[in-house]
Amino acid sequence: MLDSDNAAFIQTGVSISLASCGPDHLPSMSRGLGCKVLDAGRQVAVFVRRSQSKALLAHIRSSGRVANVFSLPSSNRTLQLKGCDARIVPFTPADLPIVDKHLADFILEVIPLGMAEAVVRAILASQPDDLATVVYTPSAVFSQTPGPKAGERLD
Amino acid sequence: MGLRLDTIRECLEGVIPGHIATCDGEGMPNLAYLSQVQFIDNEHVALSYQFFNRTRRNVLAGSAVRLMLTSHLTGAQYRLTLAYLRTETAGPLFEQMRAKLAGIASHTGMSGVFRLLGSDIYRILAIEQVPGPTLAPPPPTVNYLTALRRATGRLAECATLARLLESALDCLAGEFGIAHVMLLMHDEGRGRLYTLASRGYPQSGIGSEIPIGAGVIGICARERIPIRIGFMTSEYGYGRCVRDSVAADGHGDSLEHAIPLPGLPEAGSQLAVPITAYDRLLGVLYLENVTDLHFGYDDEDALVAFAAQLGLAMHHHQMAEDLAEDEPGPGGAPPAPAGTSLRIRHFAANDSVFIDDDYLIKGVAGAILWTLLTDFVERGRTVFTNKGLRVDPRIRLPGISDNLEARLVLLQRRLEERAAGIHLIKTGRGRFSLVVERPLQLVSE
Repeated sequence: MLDSDNAAFIQTGVSISLASCGPDHLPSMSRGLGCKVLDAGRQVAVFVRRSQSKALLAHIRSSGRVANVFSLPSSNRTLQLKGCDARIVPFTPADLPIVDKHLADFILEVIPLGMAEAVVRAILASQPDDLATVVYTPSAVFSQTPGPKAGERLD
Repeated sequence: MGLRLDTIRECLEGVIPGHIATCDGEGMPNLAYLSQVQFIDNEHVALSYQFFNRTRRNVLAGSAVRLMLTSHLTGAQYRLTLAYLRTETAGPLFEQMRAKLAGIASHTGMSGVFRLLGSDIYRILAIEQVPGPTLAPPPPTVNYLTALRRATGRLAECATLARLLESALDCLAGEFGIAHVMLLMHDEGRGRLYTLASRGYPQSGIGSEIPIGAGVIGICARERIPIRIGFMTSEYGYGRCVRDSVAADGHGDSLEHAIPLPGLPEAGSQLAVPITAYDRLLGVLYLENVTDLHFGYDDEDALVAFAAQLGLAMHHHQMAEDLAEDEPGPGGAPPAPAGTSLRIRHFAANDSVFIDDDYLIKGVAGAILWTLLTDFVERGRTVFTNKGLRVDPRIRLPGISDNLEARLVLLQRRLEERAAGIHLIKTGRGRFSLVVERPLQLVSE
């Protein structure tokens, strides 16, 4: 379960990516476009584009397993969550403001690092009808901030 | 034909970190960020191994590997499927990646944390572009094929080594748009590089030296591979590297720094390219720029191709000067020296030569100058040949492979910069004359 600090962290202007694994153990991966925390930190919902995540969504359907990384470019603070019960639910338009806010926060985060805003907007561009929501219970939380404590389990 | 990695290499510069996904034996996925991906060829990449983490455990246990790369120019995303082959912990690839990582670490506030433990080499099994909108890439600043074609033509027109070096640096400025460049020659006998020409600095630095293995230039020479760093890093600043290396060698020789190496105080981008011919290192081309990420893979490729042409041309000129059969003619009557006399001091221990109290040159070039001036004072000789110098026991050239003509160019340029009234004038292939404008007083220390 996520503590409030980590729960708040993953909902800032972080870079988000999600991976799963197929029956043949070939990994799949995609960028996330924002997330929200459910049930007081017991569950996490991440938004992905269906058109970019066919293998990932198929693997989640078959295995339920996910690895989810959140990293803040300006500080390199990085968190990895893992889950074994991931499922795909339809994206609800009520979550659109979260996707929009994540994009705005991420732009504010990376522009000072020299990224062009138009490029960031291209990388995170999405259409609401292309979105899907992946919901899972974090069963393990790891710090992946580069350094001696990288990989340390936090929960 | 699928996507070729050489067409999307901007994704590997570390501006947007790559993501690596692996899987453990139980089928649990793992994701990690990658500092660096190095292009090897269209079938192979190397990833930086910095920490023994879950990714590495999975890879060593045989996990398939997926990599996601993103272009900071177009926003295009790519997924690569990789198979691990082996890890290298020393050698050219490792040094290339270690240098580049130092720049990335400095840029991301991770100096002292990012340390390259190995270069993991992977075979590329597939590359797919992730669907989604992309931007048109910005137009390139230089058409490298045109620049190379024109530069190659200009090098071929040069009749002497000195002209070749001038033309090479002119081409880098005019054809390739490179504002700050140094050309250093390899002194095999002493394990050093000496600056023979430069452009874009307040002081030419001709005659300044750097040990093999020190800084970007020295590592490029030692490994004979281009070293390219895209962000400012003190770790590879040559000033510090030279100091460290000199301290480690126990060289208290103050002449080591008598001529400062030119260079930008805060270079954002550095590129050093070895100049080789027939398996021998002839020298290094060093380019720098104040901005970050100024040199990319395409610049590196173009400069390597240019350096290959330059190396062959340098080799040709050296051979031609050494083999020239021209006998020195009688030489015209030289102008009689006039004015106050110059005191020339020679220290035999390191062949250093001082004009009055100012250091001029040392080593082989110092020995050459002392020999020329001795013959001039004792015998009135003004006409010399490369062939004659090569067999002169007073000069003690390190070997037949030594680039004598480059030593003469160095000496000639140092004399011109010093404006002391001593000139070396090339009079034909493999021959030159000495012009002395003032009376000389030779002092052997």
